[in-house]
Amino acid sequence: MSEFEKDLNAEELENQVEEAAEEITEEAGSTVTEIAEEAETAAENIQVIGDEVPEAVEAAAETAEAAAETYSEPKAINAKPPKGARISYERKKQLYGYGFIALWIIGTLYFFIYPLIVSLVYAFHDTKVGSGGMELSNGGFHNFVNAFRQDQDYSKALVETLSNTALKTPLILVFSIFIAVILNQKFKGRTFARAVFFLPVIIATGPVIDIINGNMSTSGTAGGAEQFSTMFEANLVDQLLNFLGIYNISEKLTEIINTLTSDIFNLVWNSGIQILLFLSALQGIPFSAKEAAQMEGATAWEYFWKITIPYISPQILTCLVYTIVDSFVDPGNKVMGIVLNKASSWEHGYSAAMAWAYFAIIGVVLAIVVAIINKFIYYEVE
Amino acid sequence: MATKKEEKLFEKERKAAMKARHKRMKAEGLEKYLTPEQIRYNRRKAVTGAVWPIFRFLILFGLCFVILYPLIFMISTAFRPSEQMNDPSIVWLPKSLTMNNIKQTWQVMKFDKSLLTTIRLNLIASVLQVLTCSITGYGFARFKFKGRSILFGIVVLMIIVPPQITTIPLYMQYAFFKPQFLAKLLTGGATSLINTGWTMYLPALFANGLRAGLFIFIFRQFFRGLPKELEDAAYLDGCGPFKTYLVVMVPNAKTSFLTVFLFSIVWYWNDFYVSSSFFTHNDTVALMLKNLDAQLQQDLFGGQSVSVRQLIVWLEAGCVLSITPLLVMYIFLQRYFIEGIERSGITGM
Repeated sequence: MSEFEKDLNAEELENQVEEAAEEITEEAGSTVTEIAEEAETAAENIQVIGDEVPEAVEAAAETAEAAAETYSEPKAINAKPPKGARISYERKKQLYGYGFIALWIIGTLYFFIYPLIVSLVYAFHDTKVGSGGMELSNGGFHNFVNAFRQDQDYSKALVETLSNTALKTPLILVFSIFIAVILNQKFKGRTFARAVFFLPVIIATGPVIDIINGNMSTSGTAGGAEQFSTMFEANLVDQLLNFLGIYNISEKLTEIINTLTSDIFNLVWNSGIQILLFLSALQGIPFSAKEAAQMEGATAWEYFWKITIPYISPQILTCLVYTIVDSFVDPGNKVMGIVLNKASSWEHGYSAAMAWAYFAIIGVVLAIVVAIINKFIYYEVE
Repeated sequence: MATKKEEKLFEKERKAAMKARHKRMKAEGLEKYLTPEQIRYNRRKAVTGAVWPIFRFLILFGLCFVILYPLIFMISTAFRPSEQMNDPSIVWLPKSLTMNNIKQTWQVMKFDKSLLTTIRLNLIASVLQVLTCSITGYGFARFKFKGRSILFGIVVLMIIVPPQITTIPLYMQYAFFKPQFLAKLLTGGATSLINTGWTMYLPALFANGLRAGLFIFIFRQFFRGLPKELEDAAYLDGCGPFKTYLVVMVPNAKTSFLTVFLFSIVWYWNDFYVSSSFFTHNDTVALMLKNLDAQLQQDLFGGQSVSVRQLIVWLEAGCVLSITPLLVMYIFLQRYFIEGIERSGITGM
């Protein structure tokens, strides 16, 4: 609709509502005038929002009419206000609610739901970009079958991404709780430390991090970052174990510990938001809880497990979901790499199928995790 | 209420009194006053109180170093002549400083032009996004309507679904935008919105911009935390819901607005996936940086392929250029980033 048409439409509707309001006023007296007026204001407000106008105004007119009907046959002489008026108030609030989210509803239908469905359709077809849009042919499940049966990289990358996430997520969570607890204490230079720890939030989402990581797209040789990562890959764990007199407990174990510790750079750079969330949760712990714990002589350790953890447990769930989603969606991970690769080489249907299969797996993982964690969460009853 | 100064004074006095009492108690023998458990507890507390700050300092210092290292390296590299990269005697401080890298990179990235484009895109989209997301968040927080939980489920879905799934259909939608006359109206003649700012503004205008789901979520949590009496008072005084929202709720949500606005700016600034899908000309700073190595090879080395190690000074100069605006903003506004989010209602899960 053009601006002009929209105006025209709205004017017309406004007139309709006014007419309706007049009719109703004649039938049912002054109270109803008020209701009709309300309907009018509702119509005006909704008009601001635009495309939703027709249904909303009609509904408003209906509300007014319904109110008029109930009013014209009063039941009791006094007592409560007429029942119709209450319902109309509730319905009015409903309408306002729709009014507030109308913009989002339109946007989501156009920019989210529709593309989502279209990409699902692509996933079941062979696609070709034509002059008038996407041309679809040869419907069926073959894209999905290909992805899992024939593509060797895809399943491998899937397993790798999953196990990577499974390893990384608890680490990030524990680390960010630890840092948040520290940053929540009082000490000199706290503001500076906080500012530094949130720096990754600003930088890590951009292409700068790629250069920092030395993963520039074209060539394999890393730049200065190489120097940096070797600095942290020094075999600290082995040395520590040797120092303690432990040799070769298990190759695999040392390997795991090594990957964990050498990854401290990624760990720190990926937990900015989580630290932020936990810090805000820590500040929500009421002072009385701390006071009571002190009275009872709780040590810091006990305080952490019996006060801190229960209080921030809802936030743990949030962070967990955020971390998992973030790690799955990261364009740097292997599956996303394959998906994007296929998309840029014009195999849109195939890429959509891969993305959807991947997305379904994320969904299942998230559902399982949330269901399990939800059992351990402590919600404060108010 | 005592002023801050007075409170400090009280604190000092309290501590002095405590100390004096401890001294007296110690002189008379602690056993008279405290049980053995209490003595043990106090002793342990004193020990941790002395040792913990040292550990804390070490941990924080080390981790701050990990975070700041790439930045220091970036600055150290960006201003040194390319030849000195291979000089093993140089670790941090180059023997001579040069602005050439920055200048050359500036030209390769067409930085003045791309900076202006980025700022324009960024500001318009962020402002629109913050406004519409806050309205939507308010609608979800304060009104009961049919299907609210389902619709909110869609908001959560928006957070979870990666943009990569919807990009290609969206591209088709923009490229063959319907209705046609609207596309012509917006672009001034063309039927495709690709390569115009509208691919950013339109979703933002309809609360569907970058990470809009998260922002709606934040606003909803925040508005839910505000007391209902605020609105009831406004309603009684004859405000309609929209006026109430504008006059009563928005001023109360200032910190929340600022936080979301800042995050929105950061994410739009850093975004290269979505913009690379809808802009084919590499107009924004993030896109320029993403393709910087190819550009550098073309412009500085005449199309030869050169290893990243040789390009590193220019790459780092590009990094410096593109994060400086964000860093400046962060230094001035970091208080709002950190404190804002603490009060912005993410807490009230």
